[in-house]
Amino acid sequence: MLYDLIIIGGGPAGVAAGIYAARKKIKSLLIAESFGGQSVIAAQINNFIGFKSISGLELKNVLEEHLRVYEDIEIKEGAKVEKIEAGKSNGNFSVILKSGEIFQTKTILLAAGSNPRRLQVPGEEKFEGKGVFYCSTCDAPFLKDKVAAVVGGGNSAFYAVFDLLPYASKIYVLSRGETLKADPIYIDKARSSGKVEIINFAEAKEILGDKFVSALRYEDKKSGEIKTLEVGGIFVEIGYQPNSNMIKGLADINQNGKIVVNCETQATSCKGIWAAGDISSVLYGQINIAIGDGIKAVLNIYDYLKNNK
Amino acid sequence: MIKVYSTQTCPYCIMAKDYLKNLGQSFEEVDVSVDEKGREELVEKSHQMGVPVVDINGTIIVGFNRAEIDKALGK
Repeated sequence: MLYDLIIIGGGPAGVAAGIYAARKKIKSLLIAESFGGQSVIAAQINNFIGFKSISGLELKNVLEEHLRVYEDIEIKEGAKVEKIEAGKSNGNFSVILKSGEIFQTKTILLAAGSNPRRLQVPGEEKFEGKGVFYCSTCDAPFLKDKVAAVVGGGNSAFYAVFDLLPYASKIYVLSRGETLKADPIYIDKARSSGKVEIINFAEAKEILGDKFVSALRYEDKKSGEIKTLEVGGIFVEIGYQPNSNMIKGLADINQNGKIVVNCETQATSCKGIWAAGDISSVLYGQINIAIGDGIKAVLNIYDYLKNNK
Repeated sequence: MIKVYSTQTCPYCIMAKDYLKNLGQSFEEVDVSVDEKGREELVEKSHQMGVPVVDINGTIIVGFNRAEIDKALGK
């Protein structure tokens, strides 16, 4: 079986692309680990156009329900793509799943988004889920009456602080810079809680513990001194890493790990592969933009398939 | 017997519970944000603290993982 299009990803870009592909009757398959993308963990989204306020989970349901209206697209949910290979002679691609399944297609739209960026310090991997967390909405209650550290200085670091406030006895915020990138309104709100201590010029170095996390070691970049904080849990909020490993060697990837795209068409440097959403080299990670870019890609893929019959 | 350890605000927990409901499976829900004993039980069973954790007749699944839930249910 040869598909005309395989869409990889079930976030806003992938779902929007899937709806357009189905309406264009492109023979397509959408492969997604899950629907909704990273916005699923957002408690509230206030700038998704047409909705004054919607939770990440509601948004996921709205997107998924809309896509499932169409029977002209196959959906494979709960599957993870391991690798994409280019056929040697026919110009088709093989999409290889972690399960070992392989699907053949003429074109691919990559909309696999991104995952939380890791600190990449000793102890992080060992203690993942054992005191090192990436979803404060999910895991903040484990810090009940404990000291927590949040690594990061942007708005998402402060969302983690607010998730932790009802539980943790004290919260350190470690930021690498001299100032915080977060909006002042959040910083003030955190400070006024009396529980939050902000440490600037702090670079996380090592996570320590026995079975679970017991301490975080960091370098004070101003003095060069190594310091240790006794903590029961660490929330890592230092941005996102695009899931672009699956096409390494096939298409150009920039220094941030994002797939370089033509902004007029979303085409990548590899003929037959397009990318949209947070995995692509778009400057602004926005749901509304991801939706538009996913649609733009499919319309261009439709033209491409017509001209390359 | 199926037990789901979760917190009220965790979206992946809601997704896991919805998935089980859609399969017609009944389960006991342990809200670890209020149930301290449940929290200890979760750590004891899964040797970690993240949610959701699904216990299907002793098979412990960390995170929302459809394939592993299906496997544990013998589907």
